[in-house]
Amino acid sequence: MNPAPFEKYKTEDFFDEMFGNSSGEPLLHYQKIFDRISRLTPVEIAEKRSHADSSFLEHGITFTVYGDEEGTEKIFPFDLIPRIIPRAEWEIVEQGLTQRILALNLFLNDIYHDGKILSDGVIPKEIVYSSPNYRREMVGIDVPKDIYVHVCGSDLIRDETGAYYVLEDNARCPSGVSYLLENRQIMKRTFPQTFQGMSVRSVELYPEILLSTLEYLSPRRSQKPVCVVLTPGIYNSAYFEHTFLARQMGIEIVEGRDLIAIDGYVYMRTTHGLVQVDVIYRRLDDDFLDPLFFNKDSTLGVAGLMDAYLKGNVALANGIGTGVADDKVTYAYVPEMIRYYLGQDPILPNVPTYLCWRESDRDHVLENLENLVVKPANESGGYGLLVGTDSTKKEREEYKERIKSNPRDFIAQPIVSLSRHPTIFEDSIEGRHVDLRPFILYGKDIDIVPGGLTRVALRKDSLVVNSSQGGGSKDTWVLEN
Amino acid sequence: MLSRVADNLYWMNRYVERAESLARVVEVNQDNLLELDDNIELDRFWLSSIHAFHAHEYIDHEKESSAECFFLFSDSWPSSIRNCIFSARENARMVRDQLSEEIWVELNSIYHFFRSKDAEVSFDQTPQQFFQKVIRFSLVFQGLSDATVNHDEGWLFMSLGKYLERADQTSRALDALTLKEKKPSRKDLIAALRICSALSAFRRQYRGELSLRNVAEFLLFSQDFPRSMRFAIRRIDSNLHELSGVPSGNFSNEAERLAGSALAAVNFTNIDAVLARGLHLSLDELQLSLMDVGQKIFETYVMSPLELQNVNDDQSMQAQQ
Repeated sequence: MNPAPFEKYKTEDFFDEMFGNSSGEPLLHYQKIFDRISRLTPVEIAEKRSHADSSFLEHGITFTVYGDEEGTEKIFPFDLIPRIIPRAEWEIVEQGLTQRILALNLFLNDIYHDGKILSDGVIPKEIVYSSPNYRREMVGIDVPKDIYVHVCGSDLIRDETGAYYVLEDNARCPSGVSYLLENRQIMKRTFPQTFQGMSVRSVELYPEILLSTLEYLSPRRSQKPVCVVLTPGIYNSAYFEHTFLARQMGIEIVEGRDLIAIDGYVYMRTTHGLVQVDVIYRRLDDDFLDPLFFNKDSTLGVAGLMDAYLKGNVALANGIGTGVADDKVTYAYVPEMIRYYLGQDPILPNVPTYLCWRESDRDHVLENLENLVVKPANESGGYGLLVGTDSTKKEREEYKERIKSNPRDFIAQPIVSLSRHPTIFEDSIEGRHVDLRPFILYGKDIDIVPGGLTRVALRKDSLVVNSSQGGGSKDTWVLEN
Repeated sequence: MLSRVADNLYWMNRYVERAESLARVVEVNQDNLLELDDNIELDRFWLSSIHAFHAHEYIDHEKESSAECFFLFSDSWPSSIRNCIFSARENARMVRDQLSEEIWVELNSIYHFFRSKDAEVSFDQTPQQFFQKVIRFSLVFQGLSDATVNHDEGWLFMSLGKYLERADQTSRALDALTLKEKKPSRKDLIAALRICSALSAFRRQYRGELSLRNVAEFLLFSQDFPRSMRFAIRRIDSNLHELSGVPSGNFSNEAERLAGSALAAVNFTNIDAVLARGLHLSLDELQLSLMDVGQKIFETYVMSPLELQNVNDDQSMQAQQ
């Protein structure tokens, strides 16, 4: 019989991160945590939990919810039971992600130059050219070190057998890394005893590596490069993260109005006049960067920034036009890219994907909507999803019309029964679905922070883990041995 | 540092200082009025206070439960304590990377206190504790600014915000005495001193010789009391010179020139001259000159279309070479 907190725990038909496919005995790498949590009384669990929650609120580790008039800040709920990945398993994930970011960058360099992969017929031209995030302005432009995606967050999930899949790539402005770093801090403070004898790999080097990734791009080599974080401002949902990273790296966080472009150079406005900026870690989508090039009504960007970028006088991370690589239609072709550019088999498979753009796929999707997840090709944050099994007939009918009128904008995937993880719910522990967002940095080398952000769907049976949709997160441990 | 950041730091501190001053104003007056058992008198008193803060246009008589609540919690008046705390935190959020964790945690926790119902409940049930909480917050905030932040450029902007606000608040407390219909009573004089937390410092210096002349002299000219006008203006002047590196006595921008002139004004006059000219008039002039200093700081360091134009020209010159 299981000890108290796990007494009623059921893995049901899912792969459970702690118990695998069996019930009862935890997997070897979870044994110590299982023992420690089993010894806690419900009162102790509640105490630790409230301590962690108030730490987050006090330290202002919050995100802003869109569509809420007051721009309410909420804490990203944190679950105290860490997710653990054994070393061997992580090494495979790392290889798979490395392969993927290499291929994505080769792809971007290719389509903005010769377009070989298109003329060789591996990926249909129409797919690329019809992507709203394909930037014609970038054709023929050489970016520093030929790297477009410097920071990538590729979401991983596991199915009912425990096999890893890539669910999507985030090659524009992936967020969440600050929660990963803060989760570790709070975990160490509230639950120090769990770390004993575990040899958990440290995550704290991330800001340092991010900074050297940025400095590597500087067009001026003669002096210490001036790098800045460009944020849309305090009402952005990830504003906390922007300041967090700026602070950790010791560089300025700027808004568009702090910058000015003059004659092909970008400067920041300081109390002692203008200072030239070399590298901008921008947390602003292409559309808002420069009103002269993109969205004319945007007040968040800097007029003239693109001119400076195209002249090579300022570097941007990530580069312009990376959105075409994380388009969910392009996603379906990433395994092909890996074979084409690297001559390797993909280590991490994709989730099977139906492209509504293809007629045969579309028919299948329209007929089987109740068993599929349909996603808009260019949204993030879990907005606009249709989970077939959770939908009403009316919602499905409406969605069908949308698919028919804009097939290019939608893809569909079978509903994967995401793995689950023991998660504290009220005063007991229950299984909740999780995914994993690792963060990959590509500068001089490729560096992946050990683990990543484990997001957990706190609502029972929910498969949506996004923070904006009621998700929470967990500390994620990669073990040294 | 970024111009906008300088501006945010300056305003963050101004708002914190303002919240503290206002908490003292309400606390002291409420205390004084306890013995006043006349609603008409009471109303008249608060109404005149609201006028002194130029806040009457914001008051919505239907909505406000009391004048005190208006000062503390009004949504519409930008300088209510609640709005000051919200604005201070909003400014702080924009410059979080410049603040120590300790400062942020303090500011954040008072913010959550004012966002929840706790603040109103606390004021209702234990007003003394409520005021102490606000005042203590400000003092801890200032202590942390001194003890946990680099005393660099940003700190100088924080200090400028603090002392400009403080000088303004002290002048208001003093001015309130001139706005009375009658000669200020002993109680009024003590209230003015308490609002500037100057009562015991004053007593030590004047041995209890409580008169308008002495109170005004102390609050205007004390060399050492940290809330006197002279003390605050001296700090403003030295902060500005530290910022530019230009020695005191000279000036390199309008803010320095005006601050130097305000300092000279308090250095080279005395209470008899001030009373002869009229206290109210003198205070008014000082207030206006400090407002100008604030404006010129903004134009010099934060927003300068002219300067920007010059840099533009420099750039095109460099490009031609």
